[in-house]
Amino acid sequence: MIGGGATGSGILRDLSLRGIKAVLVEKDDIASGTTGRNHGLLHSGARYAVNDLDSARECISENRILKRIARHCIEDTGGLFVSLPEDDPQYHNHLLEGCRFAGIDAKELSQKEAFSIEPNLNKGILKAIRVPDGTIDPFRLASSNILDAVERGAGIFTHTRVTGVIRQGDAVAGIRCRTSAGEEMEIYGDLLINASGVWGQHVCNLAGIELKMFPSKGSMLIIDYRVNNVVVNRCRKPSDGDIIVPGDTVSLIGTTSKKIDYGRIEYLTVDDDEIEVLLRDGEQLIPNVSKTRALRAYCGVRPLVAVTGDVSGRDISRGIVLIDHEHRDGAKNFITIAGGKLMTYRLMAEWTTDLACRKLSVNKKCTTHKTPLPGSEKKLSPKKRIKSFTGIPNSVVGSTLYRHGRRVLNILKSDKRNYRLICECEMVTEGEIEYAIKNLNVRDIVDLRRRTRIGMGPCQGELCAYRCAGLFNVYGGASATDTTLLLRDFLEERWKGIKPVLWGDGLRESEFTYWIYEGLFGLSQLEATEKPSMGDRD
Amino acid sequence: MIQLENISFDHCIKCTVCTIYCPVAKVTHLFPGPKWSGPDAERLRIKNPELVDASLKYCTNCKRCEISCPSDVKIADIIQDAKWKYVKRGFFRPRDFFMSRTDLVGTLATTFSWIANFFLNILPVKFAMEFFLRIPMGRSFPAYQQGTFARRFKKRHKGQSAFPRQVTYFHGCYVNYYNHRLGDDLVRVLNAMDTGVRIVREKCCGVPLIANGYLEKAGKNARFNIKQLTSALMDEETSVVATSSSCSFALKHEYRNLLGLDNSAMFDRTDYITKYLYRMFESGNVPRMKPVHIRAAYHSPCHLERLGGVIYTIDVLKRIPGLDLVILHSECCGIAGTYGFKKEYYDISQQVGSQLFKRIDEVSPEFVVTDCETCAMQIEMNTPYKVLHPVNLLAMALEE
Amino acid sequence: MNYDCIIIGGGLAGLTCGIRCLEAGLNTVIISDGMNALHFSSGSLDVAGYDGKRRVVTSPFEYIQKLSKENPGHPYAKIGVKTVKESIDYIRDQLAAEKLPLFSNGESNHFHITALGTKKPTYLSQTSVYNERIKEAFERKAPIAVLNFEGYRDYFRNICAENLKNQSLMKDVQITTGLIKLPYYSRTEKNLHEFRSIDLARIFDNERYLPRIAEEIKKSAGNAEIVSLPSFMGITNSTTVHRRLEEMTGKLIYETPSLPPSILGMRIDTALKHRFAALKGIFSLGDKVTEASVDGGSVEYLRTQNNAETPFRARFYVLASGSFFSGGLRSEFNRLEEPIFGLKFHGDQKRSSWYSQKFFDDASHPFLGFGVETGKYLQPLGRDGKTIKNLYCAGSILARYNPIKEASGSGVAIAAGYFAAQRIIKECGKVR
Repeated sequence: MIGGGATGSGILRDLSLRGIKAVLVEKDDIASGTTGRNHGLLHSGARYAVNDLDSARECISENRILKRIARHCIEDTGGLFVSLPEDDPQYHNHLLEGCRFAGIDAKELSQKEAFSIEPNLNKGILKAIRVPDGTIDPFRLASSNILDAVERGAGIFTHTRVTGVIRQGDAVAGIRCRTSAGEEMEIYGDLLINASGVWGQHVCNLAGIELKMFPSKGSMLIIDYRVNNVVVNRCRKPSDGDIIVPGDTVSLIGTTSKKIDYGRIEYLTVDDDEIEVLLRDGEQLIPNVSKTRALRAYCGVRPLVAVTGDVSGRDISRGIVLIDHEHRDGAKNFITIAGGKLMTYRLMAEWTTDLACRKLSVNKKCTTHKTPLPGSEKKLSPKKRIKSFTGIPNSVVGSTLYRHGRRVLNILKSDKRNYRLICECEMVTEGEIEYAIKNLNVRDIVDLRRRTRIGMGPCQGELCAYRCAGLFNVYGGASATDTTLLLRDFLEERWKGIKPVLWGDGLRESEFTYWIYEGLFGLSQLEATEKPSMGDRD
Repeated sequence: MIQLENISFDHCIKCTVCTIYCPVAKVTHLFPGPKWSGPDAERLRIKNPELVDASLKYCTNCKRCEISCPSDVKIADIIQDAKWKYVKRGFFRPRDFFMSRTDLVGTLATTFSWIANFFLNILPVKFAMEFFLRIPMGRSFPAYQQGTFARRFKKRHKGQSAFPRQVTYFHGCYVNYYNHRLGDDLVRVLNAMDTGVRIVREKCCGVPLIANGYLEKAGKNARFNIKQLTSALMDEETSVVATSSSCSFALKHEYRNLLGLDNSAMFDRTDYITKYLYRMFESGNVPRMKPVHIRAAYHSPCHLERLGGVIYTIDVLKRIPGLDLVILHSECCGIAGTYGFKKEYYDISQQVGSQLFKRIDEVSPEFVVTDCETCAMQIEMNTPYKVLHPVNLLAMALEE
Repeated sequence: MNYDCIIIGGGLAGLTCGIRCLEAGLNTVIISDGMNALHFSSGSLDVAGYDGKRRVVTSPFEYIQKLSKENPGHPYAKIGVKTVKESIDYIRDQLAAEKLPLFSNGESNHFHITALGTKKPTYLSQTSVYNERIKEAFERKAPIAVLNFEGYRDYFRNICAENLKNQSLMKDVQITTGLIKLPYYSRTEKNLHEFRSIDLARIFDNERYLPRIAEEIKKSAGNAEIVSLPSFMGITNSTTVHRRLEEMTGKLIYETPSLPPSILGMRIDTALKHRFAALKGIFSLGDKVTEASVDGGSVEYLRTQNNAETPFRARFYVLASGSFFSGGLRSEFNRLEEPIFGLKFHGDQKRSSWYSQKFFDDASHPFLGFGVETGKYLQPLGRDGKTIKNLYCAGSILARYNPIKEASGSGVAIAAGYFAAQRIIKECGKVR
């Protein structure tokens, strides 16, 4: 398996559930690519109901499945499509009609009804449609899939880059890869699955196979707190800045769309004009947007695959492309899965695993649609909750429960050290950090952030970065010197998303963080050991 | 449902300064501090109201966090708001009910003041109050006076309308039921400045109601007071003054910010007394004063600090000839209105104030001066010193 | 309200200026919107730590002399090295009078050690951070024990110790680490694991627990001669606590600043505010200047949030309201300004030029050098482009220096605050 995004981790889990021994290689971290770089919308399918009924049907069906199996990665907020005076009124009707065809439970609301659901809407809206949209945390989703797979015997190597595909005649036999520490290794298997999304073109090339991706960049903006409690969509043809998603403690404004060259996918930045568009259009949906601090901006790449023409693979579904390279290119034991969307990751995994099973002659049915992910098994009863967590503040218990579902029982202990706060914005405890470092394939502080939400609040790591570095040394086995470098890398990673939105309180916050880590801690002086040393004191 | 009235938490840059200056977090682990309870937790409460922590009830609303905040976050307001919005109210607490109904209890008690005062100070009653009402035994109560200030005003202060200038006096519950002398002293001082005093019908300003969560009743009182005072301000050139710093804080800021009422008609012309006096003194209207030869320690109440009114009090006091004034390091006395009268907070309240009591002792003054009546109760209970209001001192300095 | 001098901002610059003005007999008020940045500082006073090429500066005053020629826009160049030196000595005397003596390595910089085990050049350090005896012990490579309080989340001893070992001077030095158990010290049973530095400092503000902590230090430090601890020795009594602890343990102890709030910085803040109050200065905390009236090239009055009705008037005004962090400067989407007076601003209005691509860029960040443009007496230019004659600027609101990159923040604050005070005193004709 190559690729630790939602699809890759979904396949790894499906394979493990069907008893196939698998190992996954990811060049960076779980959900660090396209999976972790979208707006985290649990589509109801309504967005596709006007133009693409099949996608809409897929979405609503997966929507219902995910609400069952991934309860702790999902918040069933509900969503609205709101029409502003300048929007085409016909679109509203088309949408209602489309939803009816696709089997999406959509209800037309008056202006007043819409306000009672979402009081922070623009007062100028005309009418709205309620749809069963929700939010989904892609980091948690991918990580839970991996956790389940690993607990069922699968292996995983993150921060390990594939450097070559080993071919034996017309068959693919394995891969060569290099870890971040520079170690080379070869992995052999009966089947290679390429689920590396937009990077799939590169992996195919390594195997000597042509595959063409058409990447398109989408930028998003995160603002300090939830300005809305339900997903708010603009009821018009899909365009820039037409959605605000409440994701955990923040809200996200999405999305822009720009075609880019394949060569640039590793070096994407958010442009100033995109931020302007997102803020302007976001404000039209919810006026508070413009008064709220922008925490960061980021962008992801949509992996659109050339379906027709040069691809002879089976075009199974709109957007989802499953290629058996034996048929297409005569390369045995090699599958590529590409396209699709976060919403359909499980379906893609199911189809891929079905194909894999056929190729490996394993006769097992898919069960991912009914087996809950770890954490989503059974709801924690209030009684059990009180019994287990007496003395621990409600906000801490609630936040941990929200992030880890039932696994909270493995995380929070009534030992005071366990529940001391490390990240004060998002209420992440030392216990959660220990759990993540030991159980969730965490290699650095950036990974730790994806598993726990440290550094994702308004201070963007100002207080918790140093604490996490300290704990990395305690629980992660990293040397203290390496930990300091991880700390620097973490702050640099945060900076990438902060600098496009550096103004107002965000700038004040950055100035403060810079004081602490540069002024007070002298972090950049670390390499300066060979420069004038303490001996020069006199 | 998410409410976005006070979004100042968005400006918090997590600098932790408020936690340093929180007098409650300083003495107890039960309160995690203003940063956690305010801006940090507010983001979570907006996400899900169930994430509210019960610990925010320990906040005394002293506002020292807001004063020290370099980011203009209305921390105490956020906490107060959250307290009443998200924390589930338990069953009816007779104590909180009676403690916040100052008018009801005060009217009753002043009618039979000696009985009330006798009973409030005998051991079995105190024991019963601690047991049934959870009012700490250690707490001493100020004595009720016979009759109310309002009812006796007309008789005691005749001919007020003869003065060329007029001021409307919001006397508040403390003067009305406990301390007529302060009201009388104010009339004397203002009269010495050629200013007549009048009073209008008023209800409790609402501070104890707000503190105990009776926001609806507080709003009712507030609307009544706004109406009364606004109509008293109909004629030009007059002002509303209050001798209680908390009352004036409520009249101006709590009505507007916490209760969301429109008090703009009276806002600019309602002041705490020393600010009014300062303006008069500056314009040349100074009463004739004789040297007092008194050493006094001045304690600045939290809410007056928040209002920025302390500089006026100090300025006014500095004009009293012969007054040896020591300004105490600004810190909370711990009583915080009705907070210190509750058993569950009594120890915290005493600990918060302990530093202040020690410092007063070090200064060893003849009197302690402070603007706030509950601060005065707390200091009188915990130190051997008599506590005066700045107006009392001014009255002492008046030439007969 | 009428004063001789109104200072906007109660940080290091404002307090220095205020104390000097009060001493000269001027009726002075400080209006401060919240607490100052000393609460997050290292508590050592830097004058000039690095030169333009990020090399460590050995003699800060010699460097300033050189800098004045090369970079005439730098605040130091306007103030002049003589006044800079005078101001630093002045503040040092003020702090010494408040029982907070500072160490300086002659006229040269010395290094203090950070929580990450790196070292930062500075000019004055509190004696609990660096002193002659510690300097001597470092030089003869005495063994060091890096200790922490058990459960304290804002300091990690291993990180400090390991990075310290990598320093060339520390070669062959024995560096060990250890933990100190905090028994049931304070009256409240605050969760030790939620401690901030301020909670530690409160325990050790008096001498009650010193014998016990001394015992713990001796136990954990082993044979080390030097003991390093995160700053904890209280706010008001640190010099005595330090001395007594060293006597009790027989070891040299130095403090390291950790995550905010900074105990070391608060000591300076407390001492200066105490001094200011003792001189009968009025400190209006939690108030904000909302309006300033400037007419005919001079400030007429100010209005504040809390005192909208009564204007504040003075003969002279000092603007020491800090950088972006403290609200002295304001940035919006593609816009920069000084919010009170709308003073002439130095800084590119285009947002993409405010920052560097890397957070720890060698060039630091341009926005740190932004601020108010001033003339040779640190007087700013108003909206109409004319110099405002009775207004001076001090501290990090000033443009054309980078306090962090140069390690010059406290030096510029002190020097500019003092410089403004001297100018005002001179013009008031009231030199004492």
